[in-house]
Amino acid sequence: MLDDLERKIIHYLQGNLPLTVRPFTVLAEKIGISEEELIEKIKLLKKQGTLRRFGATLYHQSAGFKANAMVAWYVPEDEIDEIGHMMAGFKEVSHCYQRRIQVKWKYNLFTMIHGKNKKDCQDIARRIAETAGIKDYVFLLSLKEFKKTSPRYF
Amino acid sequence: MSFDIYINYAFKKHCSKSYITPIVEGLGVDDIDRKLLNVIQSDFPIAKRPYKDLGARLDCSEDEILERIKRLKKEGIIRRIGGNFDSKRLGFATTLCAAKVPDDKINRFVEAVNRYPEVTHNYLRDHHYNIWFTFVAPNMKVINRYIEEIIECTGVKEILNLPAVRTFKILVDFDLA
Repeated sequence: MLDDLERKIIHYLQGNLPLTVRPFTVLAEKIGISEEELIEKIKLLKKQGTLRRFGATLYHQSAGFKANAMVAWYVPEDEIDEIGHMMAGFKEVSHCYQRRIQVKWKYNLFTMIHGKNKKDCQDIARRIAETAGIKDYVFLLSLKEFKKTSPRYF
Repeated sequence: MSFDIYINYAFKKHCSKSYITPIVEGLGVDDIDRKLLNVIQSDFPIAKRPYKDLGARLDCSEDEILERIKRLKKEGIIRRIGGNFDSKRLGFATTLCAAKVPDDKINRFVEAVNRYPEVTHNYLRDHHYNIWFTFVAPNMKVINRYIEEIIECTGVKEILNLPAVRTFKILVDFDLA
């Protein structure tokens, strides 16, 4: 479980790091600890895996990806382990999850793929389908982004 | 180098790292920017003078690094510099929802969904389940309550709740080399 100090640290790290010469001093002052202590705590959170990554997040579009698609695959339960790892191995795949199915939704493996345009994304999906031997999938091109933010935890 | 050749070259070069290699040519981004973007995505110094340390690595002054980062933020290349946490380890629940929304109701529906700070992503997709959004919230009970509220307030009855049961990959770095 997290203690109050850790929650406070996460509160400040989930936002934007100040663009000043000593950014961690600024945050440490707000938290009420020393700069050294904050740096140690951040390193510890990272080591524990609670802090998955610390650094810059880029806009996909301006970083060169004009199109992205979610592809949902219908994978036999006993093959999901192997196929999940296989799909995760594709460099064009940024995210790969097994998700719970529902009466109205049988597609159990999800991938996010990135490409230059719609056709590029379709080609990537086709290549993944051929490699994995999965014919039943839905291609869900992103047509419009209504929201994209980082989570606010505390 | 043409676009296609560049992409192939970049993919081949970085295949082993399994990064996605985007193109930032033509955006006023030079070699130092590219190197800087790579370093600050995966290896941002957690140190007293991080921008000075970056300068030492890239052979620039601390001021130049700060100026470059400010510019890359202003130009809409860097979204944010901060922490990315493992929601599950923080004890939070996450899910992906898909809704079947009639065209004339999309605006109202999106507005109702985006009102929740716990909704982090929301996209229009070309499928009869056309609105796809994600929740990060303290627990699944809260998420289920929000979904009920959204159904009640918008009249959209078909919303799928598809939480992840297993994560195979989350890639957050983009290699710009």
